[in-house]
Amino acid sequence: MKLTAVGNYPKIGRGPDGQKLRRAIARSDRGEITLEDLARVEDEVTREVIEKQESAGLDMVTDGMIRWDDGQTYIARQLEGFEATGLLRYFDTNTYYRQPVAKGPVGWSGPITVDDYRFATSCTSLPVKAIITGPYTLAKLSRSEHHRDLAHLAMELADAMRQEALALEGEGVPMLQVDEPAIVRNKEDWGLFMQVMERFTRGLNVERMLYTWFGDVSGLDGFFELDFDGFGLDFVMGSANFDLLDGFPTDKTLGLGILDARNVRMESVEQIAKTVMGVSNRVPLDRIHLTPSCGLDYLPRETAIAKLRRMAEGAASLKEAVS
Amino acid sequence: MGPLLTTSVGSFPKPPYLRKARGRVSRGEMDRQELRDLELQATREWIEAQEEIGIDILVDGEMDRGDMVTFFAENLEGMGISGLVRSYGNRYYRKPIATGPIRRKRPVTLDTWKYAQSLTDKPVKGMLTGPYTICDWSFDEYFPNREAFIMNVAEFVRDEARDLEAAGARYIQIDEPALSTRPEEIDVAIRAMGVVTEGLSATTITHICYGDFAKIYPRMLDMPVDIFDLEMANAGYQLLDVFATHPFRKMLSAGVVDVHSHRIEGPEEVADGLRRILTQFSPDKVLVDPDCGLKTRTVGEAKDKLKAVKRGVDLVKAELGVA
Repeated sequence: MKLTAVGNYPKIGRGPDGQKLRRAIARSDRGEITLEDLARVEDEVTREVIEKQESAGLDMVTDGMIRWDDGQTYIARQLEGFEATGLLRYFDTNTYYRQPVAKGPVGWSGPITVDDYRFATSCTSLPVKAIITGPYTLAKLSRSEHHRDLAHLAMELADAMRQEALALEGEGVPMLQVDEPAIVRNKEDWGLFMQVMERFTRGLNVERMLYTWFGDVSGLDGFFELDFDGFGLDFVMGSANFDLLDGFPTDKTLGLGILDARNVRMESVEQIAKTVMGVSNRVPLDRIHLTPSCGLDYLPRETAIAKLRRMAEGAASLKEAVS
Repeated sequence: MGPLLTTSVGSFPKPPYLRKARGRVSRGEMDRQELRDLELQATREWIEAQEEIGIDILVDGEMDRGDMVTFFAENLEGMGISGLVRSYGNRYYRKPIATGPIRRKRPVTLDTWKYAQSLTDKPVKGMLTGPYTICDWSFDEYFPNREAFIMNVAEFVRDEARDLEAAGARYIQIDEPALSTRPEEIDVAIRAMGVVTEGLSATTITHICYGDFAKIYPRMLDMPVDIFDLEMANAGYQLLDVFATHPFRKMLSAGVVDVHSHRIEGPEEVADGLRRILTQFSPDKVLVDPDCGLKTRTVGEAKDKLKAVKRGVDLVKAELGVA
């Protein structure tokens, strides 16, 4: 079993040093420091959060998405055709994102996350998981003044994000995580989703996992047959996912998101070990990625670290029990 | 109740001297008593301003509250502040947490309300945050489930409401902006509101915003309150289309100016919105106010927005031939 995170990591923590990114962004907004100065602070914080993940005991890390204002804007503002507008609530959280609006055809005009990936790999000897927002979720959480309908926008984005995936593939990323949380809350779009994924994955060779959160994938007939090497699921807000594991394909990896990343309450070591043990009857341990239920950005940084440590303790206690 | 009474949703901007003082207190450079004196001064200024503009039902402006949930959490046993959590972009808030049974050490809102009411002969609304919203915006590491948390907080809010009524409050507003976040939880929100308003003889109001009302209408009308305070202007009065599907059967406190823009609406624009509302509501079932709390505007803008409300109402009242 491997331990990994789902994506984002709290950008700030307690104390003056913990707040340096917040200060730097504020100063950059006021024109007191240059964008290069800001990028240096982003690098520094990225390095720190990678170290935190390493020291917590993860086997594969992410760059913490420190540079991302949110899952949509960071991608959309580097694609052609989008502008960011007003704030919208991100699903049922108390976190808001700037809604991208397509003003014309959207397309890929160059690598978006490749430099970020390169920097992250320079900070650690552990494998770094690259992360992109999937085309369907990107389309669903955006608006268009140009496209006929959601399908039109989503299919264009499938091409654009496929280009990004290919760019990451060219960098040799060991694992690409594709975020598609919107599908679990809009299951009526399942038919469209399958088409978008078929187009997005066409010709891709990179090892890739499809991630969802804030719900379950029940009723999405054929979800595990999508052209991915694994699927990351939220078992906290989507406890119905447990019931789907009997049919989990024998050649794919399961992202087992069982630590609640939306509440500070700590899971016990026993609870974690017991849940994983239960799942391992249906999906063998060597094909499980143990993770929090979603990104850690909804928690104070101190709690986020504590959750990752607790996850590692749970895994260690399980190892002892089975050895 | 007279036709088209004017009021406000709750918060007003803090004057610059008060914002500076709050900063100094948090850095330990000023003591709480000094801050309290400035809060009362600002409260007095807002009461005077509302009287001068000619508002009918006043509010104290929440000069002593930072955030509508954090303020309560900081004044309750069993609740505290967990740490900084991102709201969007570079904005963070101190997210509350439940750590034990919720009890109040002393009445939380009573003193400021009494002070504000002592300054005017017009009624001052008692302002509370509803149990569902307090819980939805907080972490919980104590209660067995969300319902237990919500119902425990409901008892606290009920005690606050009863104290306000006993002190003479004729209007009590219990805000539930989170209500539309998870339509599937509306039943527990309604039960919790029942605990708060049961046995009150004061006129009760709830403010709900941000939401997809189509998903909770008409079920939301079962909230046991007399008046619903809703943002009508922000959504271009589209809510009227939702109300047309089912009789509203309660009173409406209608937001007729946008609180998120710097632009001050003209009297004719406000009157226009009001006329649209009056195609579905009789004037004695309607109160009029800004869309939401005005705390994000400047003091000058907030006063101008209130004046715009008042002028628009006066225009329509003249047309109707009512004083």
